[in-house]
Amino acid sequence: MKWFPSFGSQRRKRELQEEIDAHLQMAIADRMSRGETKETARQAATREFGNVLLVQDVTRDMWGQAWLEQLGRDVRFALRQLRKSPGFTITATAMLAVAICANSTVFSWIDGTMLRPIPGARDTGELVSLQRGERNFSPTPPFSYLDYRDLREQNHTLAGMLAYHHDWITLTGGAQPERAYIANVTANYFDVLGIKPVLGRFFLPEEETRPDAVPNVILAYSLWKTRFAADPAIVGKSIELARHPVTVIGVAPEGFVGAMPGLRDDLWVTLDPLGTDAWRMTHRSGGAVWLNVIGRLRPGVSRERATLDLDTVMHRIVAAFPDDHLGENRISLDPMWRSPFGANGFMAATLPILLAFSGLVLLLTCANVATLTLVRFVARRRELAIRQSLGASQIQLIRQMVLEGVVLSIVAGALALVLTSWTSKTFAWFFRASAGPTTLNGSMDHNVVIGIAVFSLLAGMLCGALPAWRSSHAPALEVLKAESASISGGSRNRRLLSALVVSQIALSLPLLLCSALFLRTLRNLANADPGFEQDHILTASVGTNIVGYSRDQERVVRHKILDRVSALPGVEMASFTDWVPMTLSHKGDDAYPEGYVPHPHEALQVYHAEVSAQYFESLHIPILEGREFTPNDDEKAPQVLIVDQTAAKRYWPGQDPLGKKLMVWGRPFTVVGVAKNSTHMLMNELPEPMVYMSFFQAGYETIVQVKTEGNPAYLAPAVEHAIHEIDTRMPVFDVRPMRESTQLASSFAVVQSALAGVFALIGLVLAVTGIYGVVAYRTQMRTHEIGVRMALGASRVDVLKLVLMQGLWLTGIGLAVGLAFALGLTRLITRLLYGIGANDPMTVASVVMLLGTMSLAACYFPAHRAMRRNPVTAIREL
Amino acid sequence: MSEKDQYKNRIELLQGTLDMLILQTLQWGPQHGYGVVQALRLRSGDVLQVETGSLYPALHRLERQGWVQSEWKQSESKQRARYYRITAKGKKQLASDLGRWERIVEAIGLVMYVKPEESES
Repeated sequence: MKWFPSFGSQRRKRELQEEIDAHLQMAIADRMSRGETKETARQAATREFGNVLLVQDVTRDMWGQAWLEQLGRDVRFALRQLRKSPGFTITATAMLAVAICANSTVFSWIDGTMLRPIPGARDTGELVSLQRGERNFSPTPPFSYLDYRDLREQNHTLAGMLAYHHDWITLTGGAQPERAYIANVTANYFDVLGIKPVLGRFFLPEEETRPDAVPNVILAYSLWKTRFAADPAIVGKSIELARHPVTVIGVAPEGFVGAMPGLRDDLWVTLDPLGTDAWRMTHRSGGAVWLNVIGRLRPGVSRERATLDLDTVMHRIVAAFPDDHLGENRISLDPMWRSPFGANGFMAATLPILLAFSGLVLLLTCANVATLTLVRFVARRRELAIRQSLGASQIQLIRQMVLEGVVLSIVAGALALVLTSWTSKTFAWFFRASAGPTTLNGSMDHNVVIGIAVFSLLAGMLCGALPAWRSSHAPALEVLKAESASISGGSRNRRLLSALVVSQIALSLPLLLCSALFLRTLRNLANADPGFEQDHILTASVGTNIVGYSRDQERVVRHKILDRVSALPGVEMASFTDWVPMTLSHKGDDAYPEGYVPHPHEALQVYHAEVSAQYFESLHIPILEGREFTPNDDEKAPQVLIVDQTAAKRYWPGQDPLGKKLMVWGRPFTVVGVAKNSTHMLMNELPEPMVYMSFFQAGYETIVQVKTEGNPAYLAPAVEHAIHEIDTRMPVFDVRPMRESTQLASSFAVVQSALAGVFALIGLVLAVTGIYGVVAYRTQMRTHEIGVRMALGASRVDVLKLVLMQGLWLTGIGLAVGLAFALGLTRLITRLLYGIGANDPMTVASVVMLLGTMSLAACYFPAHRAMRRNPVTAIREL
Repeated sequence: MSEKDQYKNRIELLQGTLDMLILQTLQWGPQHGYGVVQALRLRSGDVLQVETGSLYPALHRLERQGWVQSEWKQSESKQRARYYRITAKGKKQLASDLGRWERIVEAIGLVMYVKPEESES
């Protein structure tokens, strides 16, 4: 048996049995030899020996490893018990699986975005993103290269500090031009992030600002795979970017897509690879403010200390160059999980709240399963009492009951794992119509698996331990004696059942309320007037600036595009812009009005867009004063701009803004018009000052904006074709109706309401089935009592009232507790709502009504059934 | 408190002593469980009545510790039974148990049978 230890345990058990048998046989033989009859001898010997099973049990305890065996026995027992009631097992497992999946799905989204802000980077917890000046959603890059370098060289708290700027470019040279996202980065970029190349090398310090005749480029892994077929000899080869030859010097590792959370870079070059950006590299304000900066904290340095340190350095810079740093310059640091640059600013505002919701769903489900479990244990109390009186200790009983819950939740967790591997990837669905290279998605890694394990364990404990602890407390003898006379499983269990039902209603109310508020928000967003026309507008981006045209060539091409597109049948008018509103992006710059004295710490940032003639006309944005742009506002004409109401009020309160001058990029622009305010980013934004400049004076990117007669989507192929007729190499992208583009602004509202809606539905179903189950069960337990009541003269209506009152009480208490809870919770989502208050009385009332009515309906069925019982059969039934 | 817990308590109280008694019984020759009970009862003049719930756990524990070995043999009455035999290690253990027992008895004796004149001096 030493060679086969696993068989050994069975054999040892048999041997112990045999040993005890021998003991008894010898005792009987001894007694018989003393003259006792066989029967009395057997009885006496057995009595003397004691409880055979117990002796076996305590003896086996001596063998060691007994706990493992016991666990195996308990698990087998739990499985057998669960198999005996398949209805309960399947329902409970399914409910738990859905609830765990809800949690792990949201968690996988958090894991894929906030917890892995920069995939592939080392210790992202040490990374901080730097912001200068006012904090807002989706800010523009805050630093000039010179400011960045001073901060990098003079700080004492960062182990490294990188800077980057990214934009679209066209990959030429191949059969098909391809649009790619390229980042200008400092030489230490990969080093600070802790990324090692899979091929070749990354940039050297001396290359940081040095222009090269043939610039060096580093490829992202996916681009290397797709466009260059994973060529192992790619390093040293020449490729073409916007018709400039560049040399590949390295390939980044798989998975690494850049330093901005949620966006994918395809290539990296140094800050001024062609030497064309010398002005940018040597100035501190205006167009030279173009870099996003990320730092790595030195070990043991807190974010607060680093903020203080960097702020001190920034103060010195501001003191040395006051003219370049008007307004607010305070430095603030954010950990990457909530960095305002990239997607995480939005994620951090949304996902934790959704996780809290799914946590509620899990609690709710646990309460529901615990109710079912408790009812089951009450039904099994006779079995439990017998086992207890046979010598099973309380610990053993609890262990077994908890184990049933744990087995359930493990199976549910496994199911949830399978489900989550699919649902984690659904996050990308919400971000389809985006102009940026977004790579947002959930991730399914060890964190999520651990998360699922924790959720399941929690669920198992909650829905197994609580009822087990309750049930095992009942003294065995009393249960056995009281068995026949018991009404509803004792007052203890009744109280616990009530508490569970109340908590289910109380937990589902906030879910319902929040989802109702989100749905109303979504509807308000869809119906809201953003201040511009969204229908009958088609926009198409044209890569005139990334194909490698000279300025003159580009101007000619742009005019050609406008002419061709305007002439298309079905097009009312065409104009240019370089920005589409409500696409989570904006351009910002400092603007200084002539004669305006800024308050201390006042940010002078304005949003700006470069638009051509007929832009305002096609979007139906009224020009309140002055004029719209005309085709004559070109490079040769005086520089002009149109301000919106907010900008006009801010810079020239009570004055006529027309003819006033605003300094942007160090150049004076004359105000020629005032446009009505319209939405820039989100419907619920605070109005920011906006200035429009003439497209042919300042436009960088080219977006054709077409006003169509019919459905704009039908015109997309024609517009694309017309542009390609001018130059086939010109990339045309993001061709879509305005309405589709602006939906990006409400994508988080869609995520919120979709999830909250699903959660609320689960909550409603659980709460209603929960109260139905408990009232039905209790009514059944009281069948006998009800029979007696009816026999003594209670009318059917009395019975109906009796049962309904019970449900009414539970519902009422649940609603009251839930309402208090919900009103506290909605405060958390105030910021996410639009056009509706967090405690909107109509919504609150209708949600309470809905839940109350559904609960009462759930109580009516058992009440009705009880009412219809024949009192005689009811009394007989015990 | 359940029966099982009572057994456990008894074992705890008697542990050292019961082990010593069993080892001593086996000094006289290999014996099965029933035989050990009978031997202890006879030798103690019917005073020591070992319960099976203590005996078998103790025997199995002693075997695990290597102080006894067991084998299946036919008894005189043709009954197949498991016989326990004391090992060299068990004998050493018995000697040390006995030494400790004697010291305890002596110490307890010193406390319990103090002569009056000695205590006053």
